[in-house]
Amino acid sequence: MKKWKETMKINFILNRKKVSLDVEPMKRLLDILREDFGLLGTKEGCGEGECGACTILLDGEPVTSCITNAIHADGKEIFTAEGISKEDDGKLLIECFDETNAVQCGFCFPGFLVSSYNYLQTDGEENLDKIKMALSGNICRCTGYQKIFESVLLACKRRVR
Amino acid sequence: MKFFKPANLNELFKITDNFKGKIYFLAGGTDINVQIKNKLINDENIVFINHLRELKGIRKENDKIVFGALTTFKQIINSHLIKDNFPILSDSLQNFASPPIQTSATIGGNIANGSPTADIVPLLMILDADIIAIGKKGNRQININEFYQDYKQNSLKNDEIIKEIWINTDAQKDDSTFYQKVGARQILTIAKVSLAGLIKEKNGTIKRIKLAVGSLNEYARRLGKLEKFLLNKQRKNIDFAKVKKNLTEEITPITDLRSDKDYRFAVCYNLIVSFLKS
Repeated sequence: MKKWKETMKINFILNRKKVSLDVEPMKRLLDILREDFGLLGTKEGCGEGECGACTILLDGEPVTSCITNAIHADGKEIFTAEGISKEDDGKLLIECFDETNAVQCGFCFPGFLVSSYNYLQTDGEENLDKIKMALSGNICRCTGYQKIFESVLLACKRRVR
Repeated sequence: MKFFKPANLNELFKITDNFKGKIYFLAGGTDINVQIKNKLINDENIVFINHLRELKGIRKENDKIVFGALTTFKQIINSHLIKDNFPILSDSLQNFASPPIQTSATIGGNIANGSPTADIVPLLMILDADIIAIGKKGNRQININEFYQDYKQNSLKNDEIIKEIWINTDAQKDDSTFYQKVGARQILTIAKVSLAGLIKEKNGTIKRIKLAVGSLNEYARRLGKLEKFLLNKQRKNIDFAKVKKNLTEEITPITDLRSDKDYRFAVCYNLIVSFLKS
């Protein structure tokens, strides 16, 4: 992935902090987060945008960072699972995932956290069908999803209160 | 292997003018990055266009809806202009890829990449969309039904990009529509077969019919012969043996990792029957 060697300076906001770096413009955003910033929460599963383990928020919208390039981040705001875990809705979700025992091996969890957080922020209705759709880009191979859906429903309920 | 980020279209044409060699234009990146991973793209020249404002947004201009090439699937799904004018697009694209890919993927990219399974292409075909290509010499209008020549081969020249997609506001009107994508799962489905259809009848007679299929030939296409055969027929009196025969002349399904050719043919035929009988 180092074929476009000329670097470019890119600036973005990462988990509420301004950052800039010289980087190959085609470098995957996933690799930048993991290698240049040491944010290992963002995982590589399939590497083709299908499993959702590398999901992050780019300007408030979920994207799979394995098929997003450095150049796409320039001038944008990024939230990773690490950043979200410090936000109120992120803390609430982690509490609900924990209480519901929704996490087993944990590899997919950061991606689910990002998609669930995005759902709380943009909709948040306690509605199973909507939640299923919001999480449809994330694959979990341990839980069978039921407990994950329960966690997000619980978070919606507590948030409304 | 060069990378460019032009500030606007004029700058882009300065780069592409007289450029030797293949150029890939990078928009949302959801297809290109998979091709890079699979080593189908290695050291080619890349021009980044995803930031170009001239190529963004959906708007109404007189009697047509104009989509900038960089309009994302999420924007199409959420657009009131689209819901009001072409509900078949809003409804059918709900299950396009997945929410993260809907955020990034663009209409121009889906068309230019030219996969025979591209979800939006059969829909644009029954809506008779026009593609506006732009190059240094100006704009060129190409109907989507004449846009493809072979597997992943479209009629854009090396220095041209898709600027806009135009659809006449009366493309759907009150006609009945049909869209079905058949695949192995509900989300992130890569179609084994897809069918888009549009029909208008008067006193039981078919007065307007458009059918387009994906994943059944080297590129998505309209079923022109079948449309001709069905036009002015009584909808309740269709000779389905002849429909089948027409279909064998128009689709050439293949066997690949997702499905086999007999299954694809059978499903396509069944979809057409259920559409016509609906």
